[in-house]
Parts: sequence; C-alpha cells; structure tokens
Amino acid sequence: MRTFYLSLKYLAVVLWSAFVIFPFLWMLSTSFKTANAVTAGAKWLPWVQFEPSLAGWQSLFGGVGGINIVKPYLNSGIVTLSGSAIALVLGTLAAYGLSRFTFKAGPLGNGDITFFFISQRIMPPIVLAIPFFLMLRFLGLLDTLPGLILIYVAMLMPIAVWVMVDFFNSVPRGLDEMAWMDGCAPVTTFVRVILPNAVPGLVVAAMFCVIFGWNDFFFAFTMTFTEVQLLPVSIVALNSSVTPWWSLSAAAIVSVAPLAVLAFVVERFLSRGGLAGAVR
Amino acid sequence: MAEIVLERLAHAYAPGAPYALKPLQLTWRNGGTYALLGPSGCGKSTMLNIISGLLRPSEGRVLFDGRDVTALDTGVRNIAQVFQVPVIYKSMTVGENLGFPLVCRGAPAAKIKARVEAVAERLGLAPILSKPANALTADLKQLVSLGRGLVREDVAAILLDEPLTVIDPQLKFDLRRILKEINEEFRLTMVLVTHDQTEALTFAEEIVVMNHGEVVQMGSPTELFERPETEHVGWFIGSPAMNFLPALLEKDRIIVPGTDLSVAAPAALPQGNLKIGFRPEHATLSPMAGDLEGKVTRIWFEGADEVLGIDWNAHRVKVRVSGTSPARIGEAVSIAVPTNRLCVFLDGRRLHLG
Repeated sequence: MRTFYLSLKYLAVVLWSAFVIFPFLWMLSTSFKTANAVTAGAKWLPWVQFEPSLAGWQSLFGGVGGINIVKPYLNSGIVTLSGSAIALVLGTLAAYGLSRFTFKAGPLGNGDITFFFISQRIMPPIVLAIPFFLMLRFLGLLDTLPGLILIYVAMLMPIAVWVMVDFFNSVPRGLDEMAWMDGCAPVTTFVRVILPNAVPGLVVAAMFCVIFGWNDFFFAFTMTFTEVQLLPVSIVALNSSVTPWWSLSAAAIVSVAPLAVLAFVVERFLSRGGLAGAVR
Repeated sequence: MAEIVLERLAHAYAPGAPYALKPLQLTWRNGGTYALLGPSGCGKSTMLNIISGLLRPSEGRVLFDGRDVTALDTGVRNIAQVFQVPVIYKSMTVGENLGFPLVCRGAPAAKIKARVEAVAERLGLAPILSKPANALTADLKQLVSLGRGLVREDVAAILLDEPLTVIDPQLKFDLRRILKEINEEFRLTMVLVTHDQTEALTFAEEIVVMNHGEVVQMGSPTELFERPETEHVGWFIGSPAMNFLPALLEKDRIIVPGTDLSVAAPAALPQGNLKIGFRPEHATLSPMAGDLEGKVTRIWFEGADEVLGIDWNAHRVKVRVSGTSPARIGEAVSIAVPTNRLCVFLDGRRLHLG
C-alpha cells in the first residue's frame, strides 16, 4: 500500500514537472527554428523534424534585423540590483521601526503607515507615470540609469517593507529586550542582534524585489527614450509585423535565466526550513 | 549587586485603567534570593519589567542602592534577566553570547576573554564555548542566559522570569541547584518569578505571594507555610493545600459545628464569613475519638508519605501521614489537630489570635 501511494506521489511529481518544463523545452526548440519550421505545425525535435538554425540567437547579438542585447542586459542588471539593494536597506530599516516602535500621526498608527507603503502597489502604475516623469525631468534624470534606479527604489521598497514588517513581527521582542538589558544601544541591537536573525526574511524580500524589478516593462519604457534601454524594452523592440518567434524565444530564455538561477538558490533556503514563517 | 527598593510602586497600563500592579512597598536586600509567586496574570511579570526598566511605572519609584533609577534606560540599570523561553543570540557562538554584554559596554578584549572563560568554567560551558548557541538544548541555553548576567561583575540583580518552565524535570533540579550555588558564591540579588510553589520554596529566602496585582504576603517559606495571611496563600502554598472548613461563633469560641475543632474567639470579632484552616501535615490520625470523624475516600501515594482524602459533611479534608497508613478506602477514621495549628480566617484574611 505504501509503495502504491509512493508511486502515485512520484507520478504526480513527474506530471507536474512535465507541465512546468514543457514550455521551456518548447521555447528552447523554437529558438533554433526558422520561419518555416515555426509555421509548419508542432515539430520540436531538431535535425529530425526541422533543420536547426542560429538565426534567432544571432539576432540578439547584432544579427540581421536584430538588436544587441548585451548593453540592455547590463543596464537591467545594474538598475535591478542597485534598486533592490537600496529598497532593501531602506525598507528593512522602516520595517524594523514599524515593528518595534509606536508611531502616531493624529488618528493614524503603525498599521496605517504600513498600509500606506503597500498601497503604492495597489494602484495601477499608469497613475504614477506622469508624476514620476515630471519629477525625473525636474531632476534632469530622464533617460538615465540613476533616474530609473530612483523609480525602482520607490516601487520596490513597499515590497521590502511588507515582507520585513511581517518577518520582524515574528522575531520575538524578548530578543530586543535582552539586548537592551545587556547594554546594547537600539542601533547596535538592530545591526548585531536582530539583523542576523532576519536573514531568511531578507532573502525572501530580496527575491521579490529582484523579480519585480527585473520584470518591469512599464517604467523602463516610459522613463527612457534613446540613451538607456532596459532588457524588457529591447526585447519588445525585436518585434516586427511578422512576429519573429525564434528570436523572441531566444530572448525569453536569456531573460528568464537569472531568475531561474535565483529560484534554485532561494529554493535551497526554503527547503532547509530557514524560511519557516517568513512568508505567509 | 544592589539593594532594590520599590517605593510606593504601582502600575496601570493606561491612565484610568485598573491597576495591573496595586500600590506596594518592597525592599530586596543585596545578595538575597527572592521569589515572586502567584498565578498567571497576577502582576509578577509587570513588576519584573518595571525593575528591569522595560516598563515605566505609572506611580512610585524604583531605587537601586538608594539611587532613583525609575527614569533610566534598561541598559544603564545593569540588570540581567533570564526569560521563560530561552532567548539567545542565535547567530553567535556560546562564547560570543557570554561576552556580548561586555562587548556592548566597550570592555577591553582581554578582559572579556578572561571573564567569559571564568564564567564558562563555573557553569560548565567551557567545552562548548565555540559551538553555535543555536544548537544548544533548552537547559544549556538558559545557562548561557544566566552566564550573560554573571560576566558583568557589577550586575545589579539577576531576574529569572519562570526560567525553568521549559526544562526537563531532572535538569530542572540541576539548574535550581546551580542557581542556588551561584547566589551563595557571588552574593547576587536574585529574583525568581514562578507559579510553582516548590520552586519558590526551595529557591528563595523570602517569597512574595501575589494575587490580582497585589502583594498578599511576603515572608520566609516557613512563615508562609505556618502562618498564611490569607486563605489564598494557604491554598496556594503547600501541597496538598490547606484544609478550610466553615466555622461559626458560639459563645466565646469559634467552632466548626459537628467537630471538636475550636479556637478561643477574640474579644471583638467583626461580622463576616468565618473559616478554620489547618495544614494536612499538622493533622494526625487518632486511634481514639479525635476532633473530626470522616470516611476515607481516596489515598494518594507520595513515596515516603501518603495523603488521605477524608470526606466529612460534603467537604474533603486531606491528611498527610508518614509511611503507609493502616486506613483503607471506605473506612471511617478520626483525626486530631493541635489547637495551636488551627488558623482562623475572617472573610479570607487570617485573624491574629493572642
């Protein structure tokens, strides 16, 4: 009976894996096709069913009718990583304050301040486009990396605050109190005692920030013209009247790769139970 | 090391709210061992938090060696506390945990090392100094917490907030012994918060019994046992609890009707609900006609002793007898209690008779 259930379990896992992996395999095979092979129905075994071609990949690196993806890729990396890092630092500090100290602004308290942070993610981004545009123009930061980083910090910090408030609330107050009793100043308490315990929460928050930052198209598109281009925008630039499925597939693989690696690394953390209670 | 005085101290969590801690006056001698004993929610932890400075009292002052520390921050008070659930710096080793209070106070590295080694040696933590603290068992974690107090030679007091609750019974015994030894060696003021009377009675020189935010009685274990000030103390201290029987005034004596238990009444006795109480330990089985006759309904085996449950008039009276008693369940027995062991309670408070 036990083996029966075990085989059922494995079967379910295999089916689910197939369900998840299949689109990636399809994408991979499409990236090596030419126009004819794409439109000729469901064929996906190279050499057997179609003649593989590198055209799709070449168009990502300055090939005919393509783009050069290297610069936008680096730009996206810089903007995402610095935006996430700054958002994480500011967001973690804010979250610790909101979790441990009581703030009052008239009838508003800690809960309202936390919600105020999160509420920025509730409205559609288009609402923010014009104010952000005007602000960046005022600062002379339109179409620059620092400008984009600023926008990303504003958009990613609510995520960091959200995750970290929840996490700090789960770190017992007794830990802070003990550190105070041991003669630790509040800032030292945060840096030396609480933060090392908050690593799992930081990992989750960082993961969310990086994913949201890396995937953003809207602000990358509206806040730039010609000087700076981010990866999602450059991929869209590949498109033409005849959709180049092959190069789009190649671009999709390239852009999803870092997130896939990230997912593997974080999954390790998750399965070690280090994140128990970090995300609810 | 300090004498701690709580001067007209009281606390309410919000202005106008009922007192969580009713006004009290207490002095804790330097080097003494004290226990705060009471049921959950009686104000024990509130008092402890006021002493450690985590809570600012709404009334009164806290004095350490005569110095008013009421408004001082926790860190400046130099207090150590061991919490109910082991709290430990998980990211540090045992040694780093022990040294942390000194690091926070900016002590020189050589001194920290010396103190940590000395304390670890004393607490038997020396072999695991470089181990990650997170991997320790609950009792070792509590030892580390205690050690963090001991590394500071000038620590004002060590507060123990039910530190043995999560510890295995056998280790509990060891840990209690260590606490006692530490107190004798270093003459530190130690305050143990507990709801376990055995813990309080075996640890402390003086016990503060609390109930509903009020200090009900403060005294040595013997005092609390022999002369409980209130019915609550009689009931809370001692296992099994004190026996209480309804009494009334007849002429010049207070008697339990239907028994020979009686006490001379004081001259002016106010009206109120009278009870006579006595300890199970002070009653004896009497082969001849005793003070009270009843039927044995239960026998609890307690090693060297037996506790008999004797039913009398819808009340159960407990009597502790040493060894194995000849009495059997269902048998009628007679018990005797010396008059000087009887306590009279009027509306829950003990009457002080001659």
